[in-house]
Amino acid sequence: MTTATSLSHRLSLFSDRHFKYLMVAPAIFILLLIGVFPLVYSFVVSFQNLTMSDANTSFQGLLNYRQLFKDTRLWWALAHTALITAIALPLELVFGFLLAQLFLERMPGRQVYVALLVLPTILSPIVAGATWRLMFDVRFGPVGQIVGFLAGSPVNLLWTVNPNLVYPAILICEVWQWTPFMFLLLLAALSNVDASQLEAAELDGASYGRVLRQIIIPAIKPVIAIAVLIRGLDLFRVFDIIWALTQGGPGTMTETISLYTYVIGFVQFDTSYTAAVAFLVVLLLTVVVTWVLRRMELVR
Amino acid sequence: MSFAATPRQRRIRLTLRYAVAAIVTVLFLFPVYWLFAISFKTPDEIFAVPPVWVPGELRLDNYLALFKEGDAATIWNSLVIAGTSSALAMALGTFCAYSLARFNTGGENLAMWIISQRMMPPIVIVFPVFLAFVYAGMVDTFHGLILLYTAFNLPYVIWMMRGYIADIPLELEESALVDGCTRWQTFWKVVFPMARSGLMATAVFTFVFAWNDFIFALILTRTEVITFPVQLTHYMGGQSQFWSKISAMSVLGTLPVFIAVTLLQRYLVRGISLGAVKG
Amino acid sequence: MAEVRIKDLHKHYGHTHALKGIDLTVGDGEFVVFVGPSGCGKSTLLRSIAGLEEISRGDIEIGGRVVTGLRPRDRDIAMVFQNYALYPHLTVYDNIAFGLRARKVAEPEISRRVDAAAEMLGITTLLSRLPRQLSGGQRQRVAIGRAIVRQAPLFLFDEPLSNLDAKLRDEMRNEIKRLHKEISTTMIYVTHDQVEAMTLADRIVLLRDGRIEQQGAPLDLFERPATGFVAGFLGSPSINLVPAKLLSRGAVRTVLLETGEQLELPPTHRVEAAEPEKPVLLGLRPQHLAVAGAAALPPGVVRVPTRAELIQPTGTRTFVTARIGGTEVTAEFGAHEMQGQDAALEFAVDLNRCLLIDPATDKVL
Repeated sequence: MTTATSLSHRLSLFSDRHFKYLMVAPAIFILLLIGVFPLVYSFVVSFQNLTMSDANTSFQGLLNYRQLFKDTRLWWALAHTALITAIALPLELVFGFLLAQLFLERMPGRQVYVALLVLPTILSPIVAGATWRLMFDVRFGPVGQIVGFLAGSPVNLLWTVNPNLVYPAILICEVWQWTPFMFLLLLAALSNVDASQLEAAELDGASYGRVLRQIIIPAIKPVIAIAVLIRGLDLFRVFDIIWALTQGGPGTMTETISLYTYVIGFVQFDTSYTAAVAFLVVLLLTVVVTWVLRRMELVR
Repeated sequence: MSFAATPRQRRIRLTLRYAVAAIVTVLFLFPVYWLFAISFKTPDEIFAVPPVWVPGELRLDNYLALFKEGDAATIWNSLVIAGTSSALAMALGTFCAYSLARFNTGGENLAMWIISQRMMPPIVIVFPVFLAFVYAGMVDTFHGLILLYTAFNLPYVIWMMRGYIADIPLELEESALVDGCTRWQTFWKVVFPMARSGLMATAVFTFVFAWNDFIFALILTRTEVITFPVQLTHYMGGQSQFWSKISAMSVLGTLPVFIAVTLLQRYLVRGISLGAVKG
Repeated sequence: MAEVRIKDLHKHYGHTHALKGIDLTVGDGEFVVFVGPSGCGKSTLLRSIAGLEEISRGDIEIGGRVVTGLRPRDRDIAMVFQNYALYPHLTVYDNIAFGLRARKVAEPEISRRVDAAAEMLGITTLLSRLPRQLSGGQRQRVAIGRAIVRQAPLFLFDEPLSNLDAKLRDEMRNEIKRLHKEISTTMIYVTHDQVEAMTLADRIVLLRDGRIEQQGAPLDLFERPATGFVAGFLGSPSINLVPAKLLSRGAVRTVLLETGEQLELPPTHRVEAAEPEKPVLLGLRPQHLAVAGAAALPPGVVRVPTRAELIQPTGTRTFVTARIGGTEVTAEFGAHEMQGQDAALEFAVDLNRCLLIDPATDKVL
C-alpha cells in the first residue's frame, strides 16, 4: 500500500464521517456571508452617524433610535403598509375561496382554466403594475372607457394620482395578482377534504352553512394559516407594485415601509438612520413571525 | 360536493358553472390580454379613442424595435443572472437539504433559522448588502447580483428539497450503503435520480423568483448590468410613447416564465406554498 | 322500518355498465347483505340507494315512497361508512347529535336520544372525547350511534368492519347482529367478507359483474348454489372443483374421474343430463371429505384412495392437501384425525352433498 493510496483512503474516510457537515457548509457559508454579516455590520452602522455629507464613524449612541420615535413619516409608512395588508389579505382569501369552490367539482377543461388563471401570479410584480398602469391610463386605458360607458359620459379618472383612487388602484392590482395564489392553495385544500364526511353530513341533512363552518373550514385551517403567513409577509414588504403604479405618491400617501426605507437609504443616503429603521423592521418581523410559527406548531 | 338530484338538475348546474367560469376567466385575463394586444398595435391604434379592442394585424414592429435598440439584451442579462444563480442555489441548497433531511444536522434550530431568512423583507437585506458591495466593489456587476440571488434563494431551495428528499424511502439509501457505496456516491446514485422531479420543480420556482425580482436589481445595479424588470421601469414616467415598449418588453419577459410554469404545472401548488400543501 | 324496492336499476360510469338491471325487494325489518368480489357493484348499488350515486335508469322505492330523483337528505336514510366519516373537530356527543341539530330537533330530545344510543353501544364514557382519541372499534360505534339517533327507517352499512383487525371485527359483528335484534330496522349491509355475510344476513344477495347472481337465505346459498361462482364464493376454504365426466346410463349416474375411478352417484342425488357423456366439474366441499376407516361407509359415501401431500394443523381443525382424480384438493378434518395416520389414506367422499357444475354454463346441475 503506497502513501498515495492511504492518503486518498484517509480523505474519503474523513469526508464520509464529516459528510453531513461538509454538505451544509457551502450553503451556510453563503447565507452567513449575505444574510448575517451585513446585518451585523448594519447594526453597528446604526449606532454611528453616517449620512450623505458626513462620514463620521464614531459611536453616537442611541441617536438614530431616538429619531425613530419622532419620525412621523416612518409611522405613516407602517400604517400604509398595515392598511394594504389588512384589506388585500381578506379580499384575496375570500375571492380565492369562491374561485376554488367554483372549480372544485370536476368539469371538462378544468385544467385549462386553472392554467390560465395562474397567469397573474407568475408575472413579475413590475409587469403586473405596468399592466394596470396601462389599464388605468386616464385617456387610453380601458378602465376609464368602461366606467365612462357605464356612467353615460366620459370620466376623467386619474387612478395613479387622485388621492381617492390611489389605494383602490393599488389594491385592485395587488388582489388581482395574488388571488390566483390563494385560489390554487385553497383548491388543493378543499379537494383533500374527506369526501365521506361530506356525504355523511348530506345524509344527516346539514345545511351548507353548517357543513362549511363545522367540517370544511376546520379541515382547511392549516392551509389557510400557511397562506396567510406567506401572503402576509409578502404584503408587508410590497414594493414593486407601488413603484410601478404610484412611486409612493401622491406625495407620500402610498409610501409603504419598503418604499420609505428605499428613499432614506438610496435617495437621501441617510445611511445610519436607514440602518436603524432596518433594524426596527427586522425586530418587528421577527417577533411577529416567531409568534405565528409558535402558534402554528401548536395547531399542528 | 353537490348532490343535485336529477341528471337534468346536474346538467343545469354544470352549464351555469361553466358560464361563470368563462366569465371570471375572461375578466381576470383581460388585463393580460390588453397588455398583449398593445404590443402588437401601431401607435395610432394604441392611442385611439374609443379604444381598439383587437389590433388590426399582428405587427412585430414593437418587438423588432426592442431588439434593434439593444433593449432585448436585458432579457439576456436576466437569463444569465437568473440561470446561474438558480443553478448554484440548487446545487448548494440540495446538498444542504440532504444533510438536514437525513442527519437532522443542526436540529430544528438550524432549519428554523434557514426558513426565517426567506421571510426577511428584501429591503432590509439589500441595504446592508449594498454597503458591503460598495466596499467590495461589487455594485453593478454580474457576479455580485448572482451571488445575491443565490443567497436569497438558498433558503427556499433548502426548505423545498428537504421536503422532497424526506419523501424518498430511506431503505433505498441504506441498501446502497450496504452494497458498499460512500455517502457521496449514495447521494448521486440514489437520491439525486429519485428527487429529479422535485429538483426540476424547485429549480423552476427558484428561476422565477430571481427572474421576477426588481428591488435587488434596482439597488445593486447601475448602468452595466440591467435586468428586464429594471429596464421595464425605465420606460415609465408618464410618457405615452413608451407604451409599446412597456408591453412588448413585458410580454418578452414573461414568456420564459410562462413556458416553464406550464410545463411544470403539477408541482405548482407545492412549489408556491413552500411545500405546505402537497397539491 | 320500511320496505325497499328496486326496479330495473342501471348505472353507467362513462363507458362502464356498472349495474345491469337490478331487481330486488328488501322486506320490512329484514337484514340483507350485498356481497361479492371487488368490482361487482355492491357498493355502487348501496350508494345508489342512498342517493350518493346517480342512476342511469330504474326506480327505487323506500317505504312505498319513490325516492328516485330525491337528494340523499330527503330520503330519510342513515348510513355507516367504512372509514367512519366522523367529524374530527366535534366531540363524540356532537358527532352523534350532528344530524339531529341539522334538522332542528330540540336539545332535550337530542340529549335523550344520544344518551340512549350511547348506552346501547357502551360508549357513554366517551361522549366528551374527540374522534382522534378513540380506537377503531370505538369510532365505529360512534358512527353507528350517529345512525341510530336519526331513527331512520333504513340503515345502510358500507363495509363498516373492513378497517378493523380480525378480533375486533368478530366483536363488532356481534354488536351489529344484536343491534338488529333490538331495533329491527331494515338494514342493508355491504361486505366482501363471506363470513360476515353468512353470519349477519337474513338474506344474502350475491352480486357479480353488476348483476344479481343469486339471492336467498345464507344456508340456502351455501347448500344449494345456483352456479359454480356461488359455490366457490361461499365457504372457507373454498369448494374443491375436480374436472370429470358425468356418465348417464339409464337411471344410473356415474362420475368418471380423469384418473379412471368411477364414483356412482346416490339415486337421491337428482341430476338432469341430456347427453350420455357430459364433461362436468365435481364440486366437493372440504368439510365433506373425511378419513375412511375400516368400518363400512354410509350410503352415498365412497372411498377414494389418495396420498396426503401437505398437512396444516390449526389447533381446532386440520387441513390436508391431497389429490382426487389428479386434481389437488383441500380437505378439512377434525384436529386429531391425521394423528398416527399414514400419508397414504382413503378419503370418505360424501357424494350426497356434492355438486355437479356444467363448465360451459357454470350452472349447477
